[in-house]
Amino acid sequence: MKVLVAVKRVVDYNVKVRAKADGSDVDLNNVKMAINPFCEIAVEEAVRLKEAGTATEVVAVSIGDKACQEQIRTALALGADRGIQVETEGAVEPLVVAKLLKGVVEKEEPQLVILGKQSIDGDNNQTGQMLGALAGMPQGTFASEVVIDGDKVNVTREVDGGLQTVALNLPAIVTTDLRLNEPRYASLPNIMKAKKKPLDVFSPADLGVDVTTHLTQVSVEPPAERQAGIKVEDVDQLLDKLKNEAKVI
Amino acid sequence: MAQLDSEILAALKDIVGEERVLTDPESLQYYGRDWTRFYEPAPSAVVLPGTIEEVQALVRLAASSSLAIVPSGGRTGLSAGAVAVNGELVMALDRMNNIGDFDPVDRTVRCGPGVVTEQLQQFAEQQGLYYPVDFASAGSSQIGGNIATNAGGIKVIRHGMTRDWVAGLKLVTGTGELLDLNRGLIKNNAGYDLRHLVIGAEGTLGVVVEATMRLDRPPRDLAVMVLGVPDMTAIMRVLAAFQGEIELSAFEFFSELALQKVVAHQALQRPFETITEYYALLEFEQPDAAAMERAMALFAHCVEQGWVYDGTVSQSVAQAENLWRLREDISETITPWTPYKNDISTTISRVPEFLAEVEAVVNENYPDFEIIWFGHIGDGNVHLNILKPESLDIDAFREQCGEVSRWVFEIVQRHGGSVSAEHGVGLLKKAYLHYSRDPAEIGIMKQIKLAFDPHGIMNPGKIFDL
Ligand SMILES: Cc1cc2nc3c(=O)[nH]c(=O)nc-3n(C[C@H](O)[C@H](O)[C@H](O)COP(=O)(O)OP(=O)(O)OC[C@H]3O[C@@H](n4cnc5c(N)ncnc54)[C@H](O)[C@@H]3O)c2cc1C
Ligand SMILES: Cc1cc2nc3c(=O)[nH]c(=O)nc-3n(C[C@H](O)[C@H](O)[C@H](O)COP(=O)(O)OP(=O)(O)OC[C@H]3O[C@@H](n4cnc5c(N)ncnc54)[C@H](O)[C@@H]3O)c2cc1C
Repeated sequence: MKVLVAVKRVVDYNVKVRAKADGSDVDLNNVKMAINPFCEIAVEEAVRLKEAGTATEVVAVSIGDKACQEQIRTALALGADRGIQVETEGAVEPLVVAKLLKGVVEKEEPQLVILGKQSIDGDNNQTGQMLGALAGMPQGTFASEVVIDGDKVNVTREVDGGLQTVALNLPAIVTTDLRLNEPRYASLPNIMKAKKKPLDVFSPADLGVDVTTHLTQVSVEPPAERQAGIKVEDVDQLLDKLKNEAKVI
Repeated sequence: MAQLDSEILAALKDIVGEERVLTDPESLQYYGRDWTRFYEPAPSAVVLPGTIEEVQALVRLAASSSLAIVPSGGRTGLSAGAVAVNGELVMALDRMNNIGDFDPVDRTVRCGPGVVTEQLQQFAEQQGLYYPVDFASAGSSQIGGNIATNAGGIKVIRHGMTRDWVAGLKLVTGTGELLDLNRGLIKNNAGYDLRHLVIGAEGTLGVVVEATMRLDRPPRDLAVMVLGVPDMTAIMRVLAAFQGEIELSAFEFFSELALQKVVAHQALQRPFETITEYYALLEFEQPDAAAMERAMALFAHCVEQGWVYDGTVSQSVAQAENLWRLREDISETITPWTPYKNDISTTISRVPEFLAEVEAVVNENYPDFEIIWFGHIGDGNVHLNILKPESLDIDAFREQCGEVSRWVFEIVQRHGGSVSAEHGVGLLKKAYLHYSRDPAEIGIMKQIKLAFDPHGIMNPGKIFDL
């Protein structure tokens, strides 16, 4: 079974991002970048399937400029067998990403595609679902457990109010939630081996996809600053403030 | 030394105000001791001055009534420096926590002694700068306490100790006189540099009432590497190989047993499957791809030489933080075993031999003691920890550890090392000072103390007895 995993290069989630002074975008100058945490979980799941003997090949795909090869190499170091970069410039919207991935799916014909449920920069939570629709594949989103069962995959989903398990016919799409697994560290010997693993580069034209964007970013601004707290003198004052100022009791 | 009577108590209240003098049992217990738990605190009162003038007035009062003072910072000290066991007056500097007068050209900022270390780190960050002295207690320890103990920590290999970041300080001596030492100058060869005597004096020369601290540029994209190494000699080779080509900002080590405990108790992942005797944790900047290439080449070289068996490197800030936790969480993890702890140093090159000798003597005499090693190995500083066997009661364990201390310090002495690498002497190591300082040296220390504190009221009985 071949597994395709999508990995995205995003701002490291521990970095405190700042808006550019002109409010046009987030300032990405000299900011630490990393693999999207949900994509990291996707890679880990694919590699575990391979280690269990269920998957035979893991292919990591990323869409972005040349720099995203760094994240593909990370996926290769974690255990993916080869990489694919679809080279694009500037921001690409989820629909375009889904179309490009569909192109890759048609080329590679994987039995399973694993994506993060969302990327932590755009927080769109759309790509996996759109890919499902475009490719005509069943989808199991927000997965906290993935079990391959013959020509089916059972996906346990974290939904409001509990867990739901869906059985999908392969080939299928899975998007990962936080509790699916705990990704491993990339070992140094594997990082070195990853440099020698194959990485193919395609253009959107190769996949026959038009990357025209339909979204315009209007502005980016930081959230309102939090007010400093105050110290109350006694319980009565606390009650008074909760009642009359905060109006919560 | 005199005890507190109602007259002195009234005078104290006159200086700092009624509510800034505490004598209730809970406050005496709380302010009367640091992180150590070997001594029963017994101060006579706690005062909380708010200004330099108040500190001066308090010291003058204490001097005229022969009342001893214990300066107290964040009370995170590990050598019982900020411990009052003899009815002393505890002077807690918590209220003197102003931070300001930042100068972007000098890259200095003025701090009250009660500024918490982390507060200075955050202040620096807000200015786009960096205060590099860091350790696990930075959220509670104070700049005054850091100066008084010359605190070190995890970045010493690159950034030095607290000493290297003090551009100037103000001291109230044991006579109540205010000294303004070095005033932020970089070059000042006009006579003795008394500032450096005050740093590390553990409050025995006076009260630090203000400090001008230097700040640095922030590091660029720190990578953390953990390497599995077969023995201590190999660790030293790895250190030399990396230092030859990369400016390391940390080089720490821990043993397999330490790793096992941390992984089990903190729900952390092992860095890799391979099990080795020791692990080295390296941190360095990776401003560009070339930096990581260099580190990878060094790793390959160390593997070829047989110094390293396996390794990993952080791919994100979260991974860097989790790898650091493998080292930083050890202390907390082993606390339930009420461990015997010792903080010692030798020159870097002698560490492997030193470690082997300590292990040999402990294993021979107490084969059921579990030894946990970790520390700032890049500075020649190791933390020896021995876990209490469950079968042994705490008093018997302490007694046997007293014996261990003597062996350890004898080995330290033979290697020309220090009985206290970074935690100071306080009460805890007073009896062992002579293992790393000779009588002539200690004699001069005592004369220096008397020059600053002729009445002997500043933290008496700490480091040495007069
Ligand atoms: C979990 C943990 C980890 C630690 N890690 C490290 C480490 O990696 N490296 C390291 O070097 N240390 C470490 N320490 C110990 C370290 O010495 C203290 O954390 C810190 O420097 C002490 O500051 P403090 O404000 O708590 O001082 P306190 O404990 O309050 O006092 C320490 C000494 O300074 C004196 N003093 C305090 N304030 C003043 C003042 N204003 N003027 C004159 N004298 C004063 C006291 O009398 C006492 O002798 C650690 C401690 C803990 C609990
Ligand atoms: C052309 C020139 C350029 C200079 N440029 C600089 C400069 O850029 N920066 C700078 O800092 N200085 C500079 N200096 C001065 C500098 O202080 C000296 O060059 C040097 O450090 C003094 O060393 P010395 O061996 O000549 O000492 P001496 O002149 O012999 O002695 C200097 C002091 O040290 C004492 N002393 C000497 N040896 C010992 C010892 N073994 N133990 C105890 N005390 C001892 C002496 O008693 C005296 O007090 C310059 C001097 C000259 C002539």
